[in-house]
Amino acid sequence: MSWYLTLPLVIPFVASIIAYLLRSSPLGAWVSIIGSGLGLIASIALMVVVLDAGVIAGQMGNWPAPFGITLVADLLSAVMVLITAITGFAVAIYALGDITERQAKLGYHALFQILLAGVTGAFLTGDLFNLYVWFEVMLIASFGLLILNGGKEQIDGGVKYVALNLISTILFLTGIGLLYGMTGTLNFADLALKVEEVENQGLLTVVAMMFMVAFGVKAAVFPLFFWLPAAYHTPSFAVSAVFAGLLTKVGVYALIRMFTMVFDHDIGFTHTVLLWVACFTMVIGVLGAAAQSDFRKILSFHIISQIGYMILGLALMTPLALVGAVFYLVHHIIVKANLFLIAGIAKRLTGGTEVYQIGGLYKSAPFLAILFLIPAFSLAGFPPLSGFWAKYIIVKATLDLEMWFVAFIALAVGLMTIYSMTKIWAEAFWKPHPEGIEPELKTLPNKAAQLIPVAGLAVLTIIIGLNPEPFVVFAERTTAQLLDPSPYIAAVLGETP
Amino acid sequence: MSLFFIVALPFFGALLPGLMNAAGRSATAGVTFTVTLAAFIGLLTNLPAILAGDVVMARVDWMPALGLNFTLMLDSLGFFFALLILGIGLLIIAYARQYLSSKDHMGEFFTYLLLFQGAMVGIVLSDNILLLLIFWELTSLSSFLLIGYWKHLPEGRQGARMALTVTGMGGLAMIGGMLILGQIVGSYDLSVILQNRELIQADPLYVPALILILLGCFTKSAQFPFHFWLPHAMAAPTPVSAYLHSATMVKAGIFLMARMWPVLSGTPEWFVIVTSAGLITMVLGAVIALFKHDLKALLAFSTVSHLGLITMLLGTGTAFGAMAAVFHILNHATFKAALFMSAGIIDHEAHTRDIRRLGGLRTLMPITFMIVSLAALSMAGIPLLNGFLSKEMMLEEANHTVLFNSPWLVPVLATFGSLFSAAYCFRLIGHVFFGPVRDDYPAKPHDPGAGLWLPPALLIIPVVVIGVAPFVAEPFVKLVTASVLGSAAEMPSAHLKIWHGLVPALYMSIIAVVGGLVMLAIFTPALRIWENTPRPEAKVIFETIVEAAAKLAQALILPLHNGAFSRYAAVGTITIVVAGYYAWTTGTIGAPTHALQPADPVLISGWGMLVAATIGMVFLHRNRFLSLILIGIVGLMVSIGFVFLSAPDLAMTQFTVEVVTIILMLLALNFLPNRTPIESSVLRRVRDVGVAAAGGLASFALAYHYMLRDPVASSISEFHLANSYKGGGGTNVVNVILVDFRGFDTFGEIIVLSIAALLIYALTETLLGGPVGAKLLNRRPDQPRAGDMHPMMMVVLTRGMMPVVMMVGFYIFLSGHNEPGGGFIAGLIVSIGMVMQYMASGFSWASARLKYPYHGVIGAGVLVAGFTGIGSWFVDKPFLTSDFTYVRIPPFEKFELATAALFDVGVFLSVVGAVMLSLESFSRLARRADAPQVLHPMDIDPSREDLKEGV
Repeated sequence: MSWYLTLPLVIPFVASIIAYLLRSSPLGAWVSIIGSGLGLIASIALMVVVLDAGVIAGQMGNWPAPFGITLVADLLSAVMVLITAITGFAVAIYALGDITERQAKLGYHALFQILLAGVTGAFLTGDLFNLYVWFEVMLIASFGLLILNGGKEQIDGGVKYVALNLISTILFLTGIGLLYGMTGTLNFADLALKVEEVENQGLLTVVAMMFMVAFGVKAAVFPLFFWLPAAYHTPSFAVSAVFAGLLTKVGVYALIRMFTMVFDHDIGFTHTVLLWVACFTMVIGVLGAAAQSDFRKILSFHIISQIGYMILGLALMTPLALVGAVFYLVHHIIVKANLFLIAGIAKRLTGGTEVYQIGGLYKSAPFLAILFLIPAFSLAGFPPLSGFWAKYIIVKATLDLEMWFVAFIALAVGLMTIYSMTKIWAEAFWKPHPEGIEPELKTLPNKAAQLIPVAGLAVLTIIIGLNPEPFVVFAERTTAQLLDPSPYIAAVLGETP
Repeated sequence: MSLFFIVALPFFGALLPGLMNAAGRSATAGVTFTVTLAAFIGLLTNLPAILAGDVVMARVDWMPALGLNFTLMLDSLGFFFALLILGIGLLIIAYARQYLSSKDHMGEFFTYLLLFQGAMVGIVLSDNILLLLIFWELTSLSSFLLIGYWKHLPEGRQGARMALTVTGMGGLAMIGGMLILGQIVGSYDLSVILQNRELIQADPLYVPALILILLGCFTKSAQFPFHFWLPHAMAAPTPVSAYLHSATMVKAGIFLMARMWPVLSGTPEWFVIVTSAGLITMVLGAVIALFKHDLKALLAFSTVSHLGLITMLLGTGTAFGAMAAVFHILNHATFKAALFMSAGIIDHEAHTRDIRRLGGLRTLMPITFMIVSLAALSMAGIPLLNGFLSKEMMLEEANHTVLFNSPWLVPVLATFGSLFSAAYCFRLIGHVFFGPVRDDYPAKPHDPGAGLWLPPALLIIPVVVIGVAPFVAEPFVKLVTASVLGSAAEMPSAHLKIWHGLVPALYMSIIAVVGGLVMLAIFTPALRIWENTPRPEAKVIFETIVEAAAKLAQALILPLHNGAFSRYAAVGTITIVVAGYYAWTTGTIGAPTHALQPADPVLISGWGMLVAATIGMVFLHRNRFLSLILIGIVGLMVSIGFVFLSAPDLAMTQFTVEVVTIILMLLALNFLPNRTPIESSVLRRVRDVGVAAAGGLASFALAYHYMLRDPVASSISEFHLANSYKGGGGTNVVNVILVDFRGFDTFGEIIVLSIAALLIYALTETLLGGPVGAKLLNRRPDQPRAGDMHPMMMVVLTRGMMPVVMMVGFYIFLSGHNEPGGGFIAGLIVSIGMVMQYMASGFSWASARLKYPYHGVIGAGVLVAGFTGIGSWFVDKPFLTSDFTYVRIPPFEKFELATAALFDVGVFLSVVGAVMLSLESFSRLARRADAPQVLHPMDIDPSREDLKEGV
């Protein structure tokens, strides 16, 4: 069993070392692609096993839980690992056409693989401190990717990114210390059991808030989102795509994990806070996007807004709402990473990302236009694309609870999203280029490498959109596991104590 | 033909024109026509069933989990609309083939058109309201693409975005409305919903559901106050306008109101909202239409007006009103499509649509003249044409409608609207076709080929036939009306006929027509008054709202997001303090379980030093060198704290880490100014002090309370203590935890450390390759360099110490498993030894004696650690499972060999490599002798002051 759990982690590590050794050769990029491909196979294998078994756990170092470190994959972890691998594979291919020789020489591909490993580790670990370690791995790797061969702007963005994330890290670490002090354990499953015995519920809630803020920074929720728009528009596009798709989602994942399994002692308080956070996040993100005119900045603010929907699903805590949150997570990663990849191609073709200063893509690169249309309108929630279902489920969940105002916000934010997406569409694609440039796809240095991943992710969006049933059923199974962690606990701790 | 095929055909067919574009224009149009024709014929095959009063159903499960199934239903109402959509669609396709110029990409156009057509057919055939919603949104999307088809026109782009924003808003509202409706009924199937009138209307959620659904309908059907998008959508090519705005898109809202009529209508809310919206729209649209000079704008507003008329009829909630509405939908679709296409013909031939530049076309374009005249007169409500009949019925219905307790309000406004309606129709004929022939048309107008005029001419046939012999249409209209009414009302007994006797409606009609003629006569002065009347422009209001929203967003976001790090940190700190405090007040907090320990004077003095150093740091932080020393003191005190708390491993680690970091920071300091400039105002500093103090005090309070309470269960560390020797083979629990119990964490952390070193390396590489490199080359140290770069004493001392340090490191490494120490500390110690060589003897000397590149050392470390972990797979154990055994090699004592030690070797190597690589990178900045490879084009730093003076 532990093979399935460790392979998705070990593969990127090995790939990163080899890629680093070959960093001066063009083979480095291929190592990254092959590594990501193998990682994808390993994640599919993991998914197959988990679909069958429900939850699998592996004890690292063969120490019984909760004394050592446990890797656990339930359906949520497995799907997150899988989607990470898919995104990673797509971006690794895209990097062939996007990453400069100099970036590769400084270790881009190795850092990228480490980032994937960090993200995967965060999804797979069943141990709070180990989660912290993976956060560190992600942070250092993402910082590296941000500043690799960067200029002043990149370093400025990168330093802010790191500094703000360090605040979150310190809080996280303090929270771990305090929680350990109360329960004497670090293992999620064990925590879930021990937390029930804690009498000082007030103190527990304070710790819960520390985790909420710490993960909230990672997830870029209101009012802690500042680092994201400060940094995401600066690095190379392959990097920002993988950031946009994956990094914030680790925060969301951690919130879902902790606030369904461990901190469910005072839902009336914690989840009400989350509800407010969710609403403000949705609104502020979409307003921020409306205020921008840079392709990537618009997209960056939309990440924030969309995170709000996922948090909303968690905050409502009904089965349907959690189904929505899970569905949203998966949909969003695919769509958002893809939009950033497309932004990269658009920049190469038109020479910029400021939408009022570029244009003409529809006419000269119609294929790219179609490829943009799919994720963009999926993000805006148009049927029959994946985003429609995601939004639909969340809205239905709010209406089932008769939370009219929340439903109104969710829908109104959807409208603003349409507004932003059509802004990009009308300016960058429809409008003729102000300088008369007619950018054609064949001018791309490595056309196939950049278009294949974009097309692949777009197809995935359509597949989810046209045939959402299995995905919803999957999300329902996932939610059942989240709401009743006893199989998870049994799998980790062995026989239920 | 199965309903699925009818819906699916346009969607699948949409691929063809896009792919066939290269095959030529006629082929592209032909394939589109064929696809539509097939769907049309498929629809007709269901005619017998419809005429028999049956409802054709088809069902496939799509998403049972969400209550959404692909359920289609064809009754006479759906059939009627589908017939309009596909029938007029055929004419539009034929017309568009001729209309589009060779510059327009035809495949693209027809692809969008078919997508749109499929979505429309989907709406009218849906049985499941969620499915209907999906098709509804698809029409918004495909019409967006159609309206913006001429994307080089800014108006086209704006019009498309506005249409999508407005209809998208309605669509989102409808999602809410439909979900509520489904919740009330417990089913999303129309066939079920339509049977539950009482249940729905009695539900407290009826009104919100109604309002939300009506929002969807009104936005789509351009009802006041959402009417403004439609005229701007006229930037689209004429075939699009003709299709979307006569028979299809704008009728979707009407369709839905008709569809929902049995369950939603008949309540006061429905009556007031729908009737008044319709009435206002009808009048407003008619008045504005009269004063528009653009032919298509005139037609657009007239469409708005007629949609209002139909809405009003549906709003009254009577069976007669519903029948009149159905009849007018049919009539309006015929004459309006004909008029739009004719407007396109005029534009196509005369190269202008401005009425003021036209006139006298009667003789130049006789065929077009005939078509327009008949259609416009029908629209004006002239007898013997179909428009007259339904308008009469509308006036009749208006006469019986009491709105806001006023029996005259509706009739008067309806007559007023009809008057303007007649007036713009007369103007359309009079100002375009009559009057003198001009010689300044932008192009010489003449009748086009049959390809263009035949489609509208075909539409004139029903206009005249129904107008003369209304009984032809009656069975069909009644059949459709029966579907609209459902079980909610009885079929009205009235018949469709030309002469009803001297009823009030006739007088109202006469007033309207005569008034219309008078209006045309006094058009010039009326226009002047109109132009001088200030009036709110809906488009301006819309744009103002959008802009205000964007401004608001900017005002909210930009100041918050101004890049100042201290602000972000303050927000973060405040958030956690407030959230924590709030949480604190919510729950119970039990009494402490044990008392505070008495404080030792030694402890207090240590604590005092720690606090003093920290506070001193705050005051002295502008002097970078001094702050570094203070940081050193803080670190030292923390190490001593660890010693006091009996954690020698931690103390050793902390201490060595302190040494290494301080050395590295000193190296970095070399390149920074001595002092930090003052960046923030006094006020901001006061704020920051407050925030920081709040954060600090909060942490203190929290720690204080936690320390007085015991954990709920014995902690896992007791297991570690018990099993350290037994299971891990070491007596130093800390080390066993690091390399065994939680070796997986350590594995992650050495990767972090390694990456950090590689980053420092990458950053310096980047810096040296960029403009900073040039700056460094030209840098003049701010302090004179020592004459003796490598002091003899230090060189001798450090070289002598090197073997000792190595031995100590080796010892600490080996003893680590049982005594304080381990790979991490050993790595740091060895690094310190090597750093000393660099410091004393210089970089070149030291690096010349180094055989292994640090990158490789790091990589080897990670690999060793990683493969130790993987190794356990070969004995079928989880990652990082350790094993140990005891061996005795004489003459040594019995000692232990553990795989964990191998893992520790990995840790050791990565630590050494990481520290040394960072150091090497820093020192590269300082080396001037072998100048780094500079990628920056300039080797001179132009900002150097003395060079400037030299010039």
